[in-house]
Amino acid sequence: MNQLSEEERKKILESSPVGTWTLLLMVGGGMVIAWLLMYYGMFLPRGHIS
Amino acid sequence: MDNAVEKKLALSHFWVAFGAFALAAVMGLYQVIERSGFFGFLESREVYYASVSTHGVLMGFVLTTFFIMGFGYYVATSSLKLPVWNKTFAWTGFAVALLGVVLAALPLLGGAASVLYTFYPPMQGHPLLYIGATLLVVGSWFWCVSMIVMYMQWKKANPDQPVPLAMFATTANAILWLWTSAGVAIEVLFQLIPLALGWIDTIDPGLSRTLFAWTLHPIVYFWLIPTYTAFYCLVPKQAGGFLFSDEMARAAFIILVVFSLPIGFHHLYMDPGISHGWKILHAIGTFVVTLPTFITGFTVIASLEIAGRLNGGKGLFGWIASLPWSNPMVLAIILALLMLIFGGFGGLVNASYAMNAMVHNTAWVPGHFHLIFGGTTVIMYFGIAYYFWPVLSGKPLFSNAMAIKQLWTWFIGMSIMTTPWHILGLLGQPRRIDSVNYNNNLLTLSWEPYEAVMIFGGAILTYSAGLLIYNLYKTQISNESYQGEIEYAEPIHAVNDLPNYLNSFKIWNIVIAVFMLIAFGYPILQHFLMETFGSSRWGV
Repeated sequence: MNQLSEEERKKILESSPVGTWTLLLMVGGGMVIAWLLMYYGMFLPRGHIS
Repeated sequence: MDNAVEKKLALSHFWVAFGAFALAAVMGLYQVIERSGFFGFLESREVYYASVSTHGVLMGFVLTTFFIMGFGYYVATSSLKLPVWNKTFAWTGFAVALLGVVLAALPLLGGAASVLYTFYPPMQGHPLLYIGATLLVVGSWFWCVSMIVMYMQWKKANPDQPVPLAMFATTANAILWLWTSAGVAIEVLFQLIPLALGWIDTIDPGLSRTLFAWTLHPIVYFWLIPTYTAFYCLVPKQAGGFLFSDEMARAAFIILVVFSLPIGFHHLYMDPGISHGWKILHAIGTFVVTLPTFITGFTVIASLEIAGRLNGGKGLFGWIASLPWSNPMVLAIILALLMLIFGGFGGLVNASYAMNAMVHNTAWVPGHFHLIFGGTTVIMYFGIAYYFWPVLSGKPLFSNAMAIKQLWTWFIGMSIMTTPWHILGLLGQPRRIDSVNYNNNLLTLSWEPYEAVMIFGGAILTYSAGLLIYNLYKTQISNESYQGEIEYAEPIHAVNDLPNYLNSFKIWNIVIAVFMLIAFGYPILQHFLMETFGSSRWGV
């Protein structure tokens, strides 16, 4: 823990948060897919209010 | 700086908040059991609605308002390194708000104000409910004034310097609350109190609902901003890292304040008094307000990633395991974000103009609300409490292990309770009902397994609430001493110079005023331009 050289530390602070980008893409993509599934798989098949 | 009075002020607010929470948690368990119909001797329509109304007021108004005020006072004094402005004024606000709670509690607990926490005219409760609620809001306005004055004091003493982010967020919340509470204040002062006191005979529910919609959505962000403040300003330090971007945080708070206000009609999609055009305008605004949530998600997860990597984490996701999961604040944010993903998805469904019809007034809605409020927002209140209590009381936390257990049980309990709640909504179960049996027909019998699971989730949540209160109480009465202060996270790149629009609210207040005029001006005015017919009071 925390036994990083100054160079490694600097590299971490300056690097792009690739893990965060990946996580958010997965979450965002999952939300879009889930929304589409609900819309086309559940909402539209229920049809008009009768 | 000697801030003993500030500590006492904040702690007093916190105890009222969590005292209300404890009572409301027990009521929640009763409600989930009563409505299931599994225990006939518990069934009582009167007690159920009195309990639901009190539970909503305690959780939605008392826990939140007092917690936010206490948190704000201590954030102000510790981030600005200034004493709280006019302590007598601050204590007066506390006393006024507390008096309001006591007055409102009397009819609520007595079953004379079972109109739910959203009031719902033409249902009418005892006048003390509305007078008490008004005093609670007026008390909170004292806090708003204090926060704005302290913000201005600091800016005057430090011209052209960026206001510390935690105080910028707290001031944003005070401004948001002043704008937000105006809608319900107008409704209560000019409609509900006169009706309850018999000064008027009828009420225009369409106007009431429009005014309440003014308040109903941004109040959620009033509750949420302390959680986001902790996300940005406290968690990165606790996790062992830095804030990814100070500027992005400020932008998120500004967008939240500006766009959470003119969007309340997504609560009125099914109301006939508002035309489609206005509803669509508000629907678009509702999707805009998801932007600061995504900005927040990115910025705080990036901050956590940096912390995890500084702690030795490697690989695409290895940093997650390297986070200090035994730190209550860090665990709270991880669990809060998990619940935000699912609660946020539910919110997207609610906000979708067409699909909303599928879940409108069903059990889906309280399921969503509990997940996003009771889950994401309140679990972070717990994380803050565990961090602030030792600082405020001068006593070490009684048990860190108990705190971790409490956070996990809250997350598990909330997940177990709200998942079947959402499903029941999709199966067509209405919300706000004291019994789900309907003479045991086949449809409602199919709900029973879900009801049983909900009771199990509710029991876990009540146990978790007990752990929280016990831990805080044991901390408070400890004989040991603790010396520590709140530590705020530093951004990776220090902010020395900011454009005025990221360091001031002047321009944003003008923008809000214009947006509110556009979004609510005519929809309110129409009630005075066309002939409307008032409704007689229902209920008491």
